[in-house]
Amino acid sequence: MQTAIQETPGIQITALKKAFGQQQVLDGVDLEVPRGKITVVIGRSGTGKSVLLKHVMGLIVPDSGSVRVGNDLLADLGPRALRNVRFRFGMVFQNAALFDSMDVFENVAFPLREHGIEHGLHPGQQGTPLGTARLRGRAREAAIRERVEGMLAAVGLRDMGYKAVSELSGGMRKRVGLARALVRGPEFLLYDEPTTGLDPIMTAQIDNLIRATQDANPGITSLVISHDMAASFRIADHMAMLYEGKIRMNGTPAEIRSTADPVVRQFIEGRLDGPIPLG
Amino acid sequence: MNILSALGATIIAQFEALGGYLLFVGKSATAGFLPPYRVRLLLKQMHFVGVESLTIVVITSIFTGMVFAIQAEIGFSQFGANGLIGGIVALSLTRELSPVLTALMVNGRVGSAMAAELGTMRVTEQVDALESMAIDPMQYLVAPRVLASIVMVPALTMIFNVIGLAGCWYVAVQQLQVPEGGFWARIWWFVDEDDVLGGCFKGAVFGFILSSIGCYQGFHTRGGAEGVGRATTRAVVISGVLILTSDYFLTRILAPLSVG
Ligand SMILES: Nc1ncnc2c1ncn2[C@@H]1O[C@H](COP(=O)(O)OP(=O)(O)O)[C@@H](O)[C@H]1O
Ligand SMILES: [Mg+2]
Repeated sequence: MQTAIQETPGIQITALKKAFGQQQVLDGVDLEVPRGKITVVIGRSGTGKSVLLKHVMGLIVPDSGSVRVGNDLLADLGPRALRNVRFRFGMVFQNAALFDSMDVFENVAFPLREHGIEHGLHPGQQGTPLGTARLRGRAREAAIRERVEGMLAAVGLRDMGYKAVSELSGGMRKRVGLARALVRGPEFLLYDEPTTGLDPIMTAQIDNLIRATQDANPGITSLVISHDMAASFRIADHMAMLYEGKIRMNGTPAEIRSTADPVVRQFIEGRLDGPIPLG
Repeated sequence: MNILSALGATIIAQFEALGGYLLFVGKSATAGFLPPYRVRLLLKQMHFVGVESLTIVVITSIFTGMVFAIQAEIGFSQFGANGLIGGIVALSLTRELSPVLTALMVNGRVGSAMAAELGTMRVTEQVDALESMAIDPMQYLVAPRVLASIVMVPALTMIFNVIGLAGCWYVAVQQLQVPEGGFWARIWWFVDEDDVLGGCFKGAVFGFILSSIGCYQGFHTRGGAEGVGRATTRAVVISGVLILTSDYFLTRILAPLSVG
């Protein structure tokens, strides 16, 4: 089972184009996100990294081009099939996107309550069809509590479950969003700037969590968006830079670090002088 | 030529907006009929739309009943027909005033809240988050709100009827000395169940209008806090206008009911 999943492809983005009104945000993005690895996409803010990530889950429909998840071409899927693909994803939104009608605990418990606690625990463990919860009543509640509390502890929020979302700092929100994305053990993990706005210690802790989650589950696929260069080099197996609507460069961290491309160099070194227009 | 093409563009835009709205309504209706049924969310919305609107409905209904009793007395006293006050006010309440005023009050409270809440969820990506978790926002957010409003606005309309009549009774019988027996007799004589049911039917339609417009505006919010403000205003204004215009057509449709 495990090996079968590891042999299926990851995410394949082909010639993706998307414009909002006059603004051509994505202008032919080609990107392969291999299974079993962490791919980090870097790029200036406003270049369309979040838009790219939303295409991967079909939250935005492209003007042209395609996204393939595993063996499924998103454009070919009906609502039901798309739902089944989304079951396999966990997404950390840039601004957390927590449900402010619920407290921290219920935010993290939400995917479990909706889709059951027995399923989706990383590929290879999906023995039963999704959506049929076998545990009932108090046993189910206890299982949910255990899982959620474990998840909160892993993101450094032990005993914070009772807090209202409005009482959290930006960094805490982000970590709750991370816990919510990871709680069902998804097969594809999408992180939109998971560490932006966190302090250096917390950044290192979250980076470790992303790396450890990937390493513990070789069948999963992580796609991280970041503009924290140090962290990107630390966790990435693969890196790609999004620039002016296209993938400017794509390679291992070592290849990126030693590139001669002036655009990439300017970005990773954070210099003001160079080909990237300021504004 | 320019005027024509501008006019054409405006008309097309209006039809597109109408089409978008009808599609939205269709999707939420489909989502509402398919499992899983969100009973808990429905109850929560029924509480919000119905129970939490009780205070404003009680206050507006009692004063409406009292004011209309005073106004009716001004007319009827000239014929020495004060005994008709109860019947006329009851007829106005059940057929028109209760559904329309209830809907307008609930629109101000609930329609605006739905637009603001869904609008905030949209701009803070909570709607995207639901979709990313394979949950249909139509089913989770929209269907319970619309259904709760279709049920609760008629219920509030009934309460408006009863309390409005109590206000009318207080002014007519206690202050204007209309004989108690005649007061009630005229009410039973004027008002029959078709009037009451017709008013409730109007309430259900108005509940549908204010909730579906509120949700639609919220769901399609763009542009941060400012966008949420715009969506809220539009929801209240559009629903208010639609409630009053549709009332005319509903009255035309319902009128034959009580003539026969
Ligand atoms: N739903 C939308 N409607 C219109 N414009 C959008 C929308 N989403 C993103 N954009 C625009 O697309 C560009 C890229 O946005 P985004 O992907 O958020 O950038 P980032 O790389 O910082 O994540 C921005 O200029 C933004 O204004
Ligand atoms: Mg972004």
